[in-house]
Amino acid sequence: MSESTISGNKLFRSLRFQKWLNRRMPPANSIELHQGNIFILPTREGLYFTILITVMVIAGINYQNSLIFMLAFTLLSVFMLGILHTFRNLSGVMIQASSSKPVFAGEDAEFNIIVARGGARTYEGLVVGWHPDLLQGVDLITDEEVRVKLYVPTKQRGRMNPGRMLIETNYPLGLFRAWSWVDLDMSTIVYPVPLYAGAIPESVSSTHEGEMLSREGVDDFHGLRDFQPGDPVRHIAWKSYARTEELQVKEYSAFVDRRVWLDWNHFSSMDRENRLSRLCYWVLMVSKSSDAFGLRLPGVEIEPDQGHGHREKCLKELALFETAT
Amino acid sequence: MTGYQIPRNSLAWLLLAQAAVILPHVVRLPVWVTAVCVACIYWRVMVYNGRWRYPGRWTKVAFVLGGIIGVPVGYRTILGLEPAVAMLIIAYVLKLLEMQHKRDAYVVVLLGYFVAMTQFLFFQTIPWSIYIFTAVLITTAGLVGLNQTTTHARPVMTFNTAGMILLQSVPLMVVLFVLFPRLPPLWNVPMPSQIAKSGVSDTMSPGDVAQIATSSDLAFKVKFDGQMPPFNQLYWRGLVLSNFDGRTWYQDESASFRSIWRYRMPEPGWVDNMERQDNAFTYRIIQEPTQQNWLFSLMLPDLPQDRELVMARDFRLAHVEPVRTKVRYEVTSYLRYRVDTSLTAGQRRQFTSVVENGNNPRSRQLAAEMFAQSSGVNDYIGRVLRMYSERDFVYTLQPDVLGRHSIDEFLFFTRRGFCEHFAGSFAFMMRAAGIPARVVVGYHGGEYNQFGDYISVYQFDAHAWTEVWLEGEGWRRIDPTTAVAPDRIERGLEAAVADEATFLEGDFISAFARQTLWLTELRLQLSAIGYYWDTFVVGYTPQIQSDLISKFFGDIDRKGLGMIMLAIFFSLLAVIGIIILMKRPHRALTPLDREYLYYCELLGRQGLARHLGEGPIDYAERVIAARPELAQPVREVTRTYVDMAYGDLDAGRHKDLKRAIRGFRIKALA
Repeated sequence: MSESTISGNKLFRSLRFQKWLNRRMPPANSIELHQGNIFILPTREGLYFTILITVMVIAGINYQNSLIFMLAFTLLSVFMLGILHTFRNLSGVMIQASSSKPVFAGEDAEFNIIVARGGARTYEGLVVGWHPDLLQGVDLITDEEVRVKLYVPTKQRGRMNPGRMLIETNYPLGLFRAWSWVDLDMSTIVYPVPLYAGAIPESVSSTHEGEMLSREGVDDFHGLRDFQPGDPVRHIAWKSYARTEELQVKEYSAFVDRRVWLDWNHFSSMDRENRLSRLCYWVLMVSKSSDAFGLRLPGVEIEPDQGHGHREKCLKELALFETAT
Repeated sequence: MTGYQIPRNSLAWLLLAQAAVILPHVVRLPVWVTAVCVACIYWRVMVYNGRWRYPGRWTKVAFVLGGIIGVPVGYRTILGLEPAVAMLIIAYVLKLLEMQHKRDAYVVVLLGYFVAMTQFLFFQTIPWSIYIFTAVLITTAGLVGLNQTTTHARPVMTFNTAGMILLQSVPLMVVLFVLFPRLPPLWNVPMPSQIAKSGVSDTMSPGDVAQIATSSDLAFKVKFDGQMPPFNQLYWRGLVLSNFDGRTWYQDESASFRSIWRYRMPEPGWVDNMERQDNAFTYRIIQEPTQQNWLFSLMLPDLPQDRELVMARDFRLAHVEPVRTKVRYEVTSYLRYRVDTSLTAGQRRQFTSVVENGNNPRSRQLAAEMFAQSSGVNDYIGRVLRMYSERDFVYTLQPDVLGRHSIDEFLFFTRRGFCEHFAGSFAFMMRAAGIPARVVVGYHGGEYNQFGDYISVYQFDAHAWTEVWLEGEGWRRIDPTTAVAPDRIERGLEAAVADEATFLEGDFISAFARQTLWLTELRLQLSAIGYYWDTFVVGYTPQIQSDLISKFFGDIDRKGLGMIMLAIFFSLLAVIGIIILMKRPHRALTPLDREYLYYCELLGRQGLARHLGEGPIDYAERVIAARPELAQPVREVTRTYVDMAYGDLDAGRHKDLKRAIRGFRIKALA
């Protein structure tokens, strides 16, 4: 792959250029590539190729050899045609944002995009991706469209906008590189890194009312609910899965709901990020049980609840706490 | 970038290209270089098949050192074209062995193009050009393969893509080829040196010309403007051999070098002595490489107008540089002429010298006796010629080997000779009688090609004759061969030696091709194509370019020409660009998909276009949510389409989809 992918490119990082790009190619969920947003330049191999042609022309002159001229001019024409063919191999490609998944800081965030061909033209050797080490090859020969999972490394919590995605191709000759930087207007939530915070202190959970609410009929089968990450495998209703192909877990009323408050003030000796990381760990911990939990941050209070949605809500709160967006 | 793998598809093409590019060089390479090439390619194929591993570092170092030391040792020099090409080829195959990364593969591709180019230094014929451009095509396929994804494994498509690009490059190449300003050489370059000098040489001993005449190689082609002189007048003068050492005739170096006329030089006195009378013929010669300086022309050529050409004191043309590639030149000759009407005493001495070292005593005696009996010079010439025709002299391609007194042996014992025996002995007889005479070697005759309207002169047309200086007339051509074998001059060598069946004896295939009618026809046609190739492609020199360009664009300087070239080139590129970008290859849509897409289009017109990646069922739900009144027909269409496209139902229900869509359409438009 070429080295001049996004992060390594000085020009790309300059603010003025970014502004110009935004004006020229405003962020959009779906972008079709055309002459207005495709860049094209010779590759290093392309430059070597021109040197080869020059040497051949000089040989043709010095040997007064028409056939060497013929070969040199053929290669020169091939070189020039390379511009058209490489451009053709990008022009008309459509890229659409599809979905993204939240991650914990330090993991690779996953973005799903769709690369499609609009017309009957086929495309080969396309490369897409945000990070130079995590590029993905795409062919659109038999497929009309291809879903691509792309990963972007994350460093810090918050709302993460991967910025402009690179789509490039050297096909067919490798002498030219056509590329575009498209902003698909995608983003994802990056949760704080969970850091071990020990067991949730009893004192925290017992100081509040209603935490010992229990349903009647301990150990009795209560019903089925949808599976959530963290549910114990032994509670999965396999028979139901075989029938409906949906993962469900059996709920027993023996599970005692305990209302737990995960509180910012518990880690009073730490800085903000460390506190968030530890709270994050707790959210994950508590979510594994069926305990209801609430979250208290300065200026934010989420009432105790349980379930996947609640967990996401808390994690999102932790992720976005005191960030600009 | 570790873990990169060159796509196997590309690798296969690169290996094939390498073999193709090196193959023609094998005849010229030392055996050991060929062995290294074969070993490297074999090794790489084994790596490709997963049997062997890449060579280790020390093995590679050994290979490289072997090449660096081996080439100069093998060639005994590092200068020159052949060692350079051998080095290049060794680098090319060794690079193959360490080709693991994409960068290496690019180096192999570029070297491949370059090695292919070097082939043109040695061969420029049509078949070789087709061959080399095919090798270039294969190399390009390798280049395309490099830029495909590793999983792409359809080599034929890769090849087709490369072929299409090369095909598109042809019109662009033609524009550049015709209009790119051709410059004179920028500096001197080493030329192919191993090629044996061919054709007539500047010395003539008995048996030399007969040796040349066993070859059916082409010497040159001649095209006349308009009328052609009669066949028996086609004496292509190459060299004038003025000196005789008792056995061998050779060129007088000092004389020919001291007095050479060059383009735009003031005319020396001897040039004024040339009297061109009439019978002018203008013709163009395309001469095959001989590695020698001399050119061929009919007596008496005009002063050359080409700066590459010179005229020597003996009125023959020569090329400034040895003829290493085909040379094309234009000459006007006056078949009626008069030159050197007076000789200086020194010249007279030179042209009558037979070297007083006791050679050929019987011939001298014979000359003295015959001259004493003759009434004059002309009578003497007639007597000597009659001697050839009246005694039992035989014109043969297989003359006997002659010893020290070659002329005595020939005139008195063997009496079997080829043209050089007759020319040499005749000139000797003249000189022995005090008549200035010299030997001329070159070619006589040629084969007329009706398809291209030109004459091909072959090596077997090699000939030797004499020029005798006559008081008041100057140099006159006398061909003693006419006395013994008039057929040679009237109909060519094949007819002259028909009785002994020695024509092209050692070259069965050529002889067969010449004696079979339809093959002759085919040979002449191919030769005619070759003639046009040599004239307009190989022989497209700065001279011809400026002629052609002034014909079309009038008086134009190099800069203007460059502008015209760029304008045409880029217009053409734009046209090809439009074709490339507009091209919509026919897509294999099933009738089913076409119907469904029509339905999508109908909805699209109502602002409900299908999103990218949206399945038919999701799409239907979205449509129904937006337009509940269409629920029934949309469901009908979607169910029918999904059943047929994804289920396994017979095509009989294609009509159902059509009907469903018609139903939908009525509803939707209502």
